[in-house]
Amino acid sequence: MQRVLTIAETEFLALVRTKAFIIGILLVPVLMVVFITFMNYAEDHVDTTDRHIAVMDGTNVLYDHLARAAADHNTKAGLGDAKAAPHFLLRKVDLAGRSKEDVTVDLSSQVKDKSLFAFVDLPLDLIDAGEKATYGFYAQTTSARPVTDFVEEAVNEAVAERRFAAAGIDQGLVRRLTARATLTRFGLVERTESGDAVPAREVDDLSRIGVPMFVLVLMFMAVMTGAMHLLNAIIEEKMSKISEVLLGSVTPFQLLAGKLLGVVAVSILLTVVYLVGGIYSLISFGRADLIDPAIIGWFFVFMIAAALMFGAVFLAIGSACSDLKDSQSMVQPAMMLIILAYLASFVVMRAPESALSVGLSFFPTITPFAMMLRLVMPPGPPIWQVAASVALLLAATALVVWAAGRIFRVGLLMQGKPPNLPELLKWIRK
Amino acid sequence: MSAIEIRGVSKTFGQHLAVNDVSLQVPEGSIYGFIGPNGSGKTTTIRMIMKIILPDRGDITVLGRRGTAAAHDDVSYLPEERGLYKQMQVRRLLRYYGRLKGKGVKQLEPVIARWLDTLGLAPWADKRIDQLSKGMAQKVQFIAAVVSEPKLLILDEPFSGLDPVNAESLRDAVLDLRRQGTTIVFSTHDMSAAEKLCDRIFMIFKGNKVLDGSLDAIQQQYGHDAVRVRLGGGVQALAGIPGLESVNDHGNFQDVRVPGDPQALLRELVARTTVLQFEITKPSLHDIFIRIARPSADDLRAAGEVA
Repeated sequence: MQRVLTIAETEFLALVRTKAFIIGILLVPVLMVVFITFMNYAEDHVDTTDRHIAVMDGTNVLYDHLARAAADHNTKAGLGDAKAAPHFLLRKVDLAGRSKEDVTVDLSSQVKDKSLFAFVDLPLDLIDAGEKATYGFYAQTTSARPVTDFVEEAVNEAVAERRFAAAGIDQGLVRRLTARATLTRFGLVERTESGDAVPAREVDDLSRIGVPMFVLVLMFMAVMTGAMHLLNAIIEEKMSKISEVLLGSVTPFQLLAGKLLGVVAVSILLTVVYLVGGIYSLISFGRADLIDPAIIGWFFVFMIAAALMFGAVFLAIGSACSDLKDSQSMVQPAMMLIILAYLASFVVMRAPESALSVGLSFFPTITPFAMMLRLVMPPGPPIWQVAASVALLLAATALVVWAAGRIFRVGLLMQGKPPNLPELLKWIRK
Repeated sequence: MSAIEIRGVSKTFGQHLAVNDVSLQVPEGSIYGFIGPNGSGKTTTIRMIMKIILPDRGDITVLGRRGTAAAHDDVSYLPEERGLYKQMQVRRLLRYYGRLKGKGVKQLEPVIARWLDTLGLAPWADKRIDQLSKGMAQKVQFIAAVVSEPKLLILDEPFSGLDPVNAESLRDAVLDLRRQGTTIVFSTHDMSAAEKLCDRIFMIFKGNKVLDGSLDAIQQQYGHDAVRVRLGGGVQALAGIPGLESVNDHGNFQDVRVPGDPQALLRELVARTTVLQFEITKPSLHDIFIRIARPSADDLRAAGEVA
């Protein structure tokens, strides 16, 4: 056992010291923090420079409405140090006998020399054109969102107001009558043993999509980081004959067990780091109610079994290959299992309690992903299903590790053409 | 007592008979040379001694143990290809290989320090393997094999690719280990190194044992049929002499193999030219190796037919 632990320790250190791992485990969370900090900073530091906007009002009736909307906006935006958004300063353009072309060229020069931010051209038929109504917004940076948002909203309001007035309909009444009701998702109401009703918990997008996605991505990361490392490491050891030296000291199964334990330790480390980050984020967002220790416990059970199962498969494949090129074709069937699990996860996310989802969560290579998703998505599976899927998964893992050990024993000393499936089965039976 | 005892061992891979009914006894404390052409069964025999693979027939006793269990902690192996982790530091790597042989870190530290010092690698102890020269890496590999202080050490081409200075220091280390009682199995293609170092020689060819014994006994077995001559008429003076098995021309002198009476050859040469040197020599291990392993006319004919 001491030797297995020595191999595990070396494998663990070899992986956690790689640049890929350091970047993956440390840099990604750091980049996320930097990104969130930047977003917060950007939100707090809005450009409040006043925007001068010229309006060519071909309808001759919309400008006043737009000017009122701008005044309302400017009041809300505040003044001085309390100013939270730019003021929009509108100016009506009088053609004064000039051609429209001359005026737009003149306005464009004003935009270029920064005395104007943008100008809007509202054509004569804007109100009556119906669905075909269109108007122009001209600026050097047409993607200046706050300005375009304001103009779009104000023009639509003004046009709608004129259309309702022309039709003799009270716009306020229509608004009240067509106001939409908001759907709020809840779990179920429970009654405690003392007879009190426990109000249902609100199911928002964070619990419905955010948490399941986080669980799914973390499971894939934890499993694949170790599996891919094992594949490359064992091929390198085989190519450089390190495996021969190691087999002079330990049995093939001890070597396999040590390597698997090493990467499982890495997967646990990775999971702990990301879980701590996830829990911290939930607490920061005031959603500590989504943290369930039982779910975290199940995650470790499923993750460790999956890391062992896929790790053993990739180790067996690596041991049967003589170089990295061979491994690319040999690894395809194993990758298909992973892709299948990935696709199945989306089926489960869409309908966690459907017969298909329940069936998929009992298929051992899919179980760690599918059952975990069902556990974090309400209403959650019955406990017997979880227990049965864990039992199946552990049995399958034991079988896969055993078969991988048989392949590993033969493959490690083989050179030349990689084996086909019948040969691999022969190695297992040998 | 024998450090290794192999009795009637055979090993087949598919249709290929890699080792055929080989028996061998390696005495404790000796240096035993394993020679043979590539693909003759040396590595398979070594792997069976290491218990990396098991024989199909026969049995192998290593340091008194017969079982088929895991490799022996008292046996170490230096493969021909240097099995080192390129990213690992020298000291960590040596510690790792030692620990896999069941040694504790405290036990290993002084041994590692002593060997690094002996082979001039102490300043490189904290460098990564990929920062070392090929010769240095080879010495690290040697230390990795001896760091557990094995009773039986199996070295596969330990001197290949080493410059004469490094080869000398490694040779001294091997002799030193033998003096301390370590049994050494030494697989090589370097016949002169085998002649200088080995107490006994074992040659395997096409899976069969073809030589086994002390160098003297082997040379005796292959007879006094080698003659070194230096002739006034040069190599041309040997032309047409009946019964010569082979002539190896070195320019200034020639090595001639004579199956019959060397005195008859001397008489013939004296009649033909001035004989400057005539020395009946023992065949070198190199000559014996070539004589056994050189493809026969039948082999060449068979190869031609296949091609």
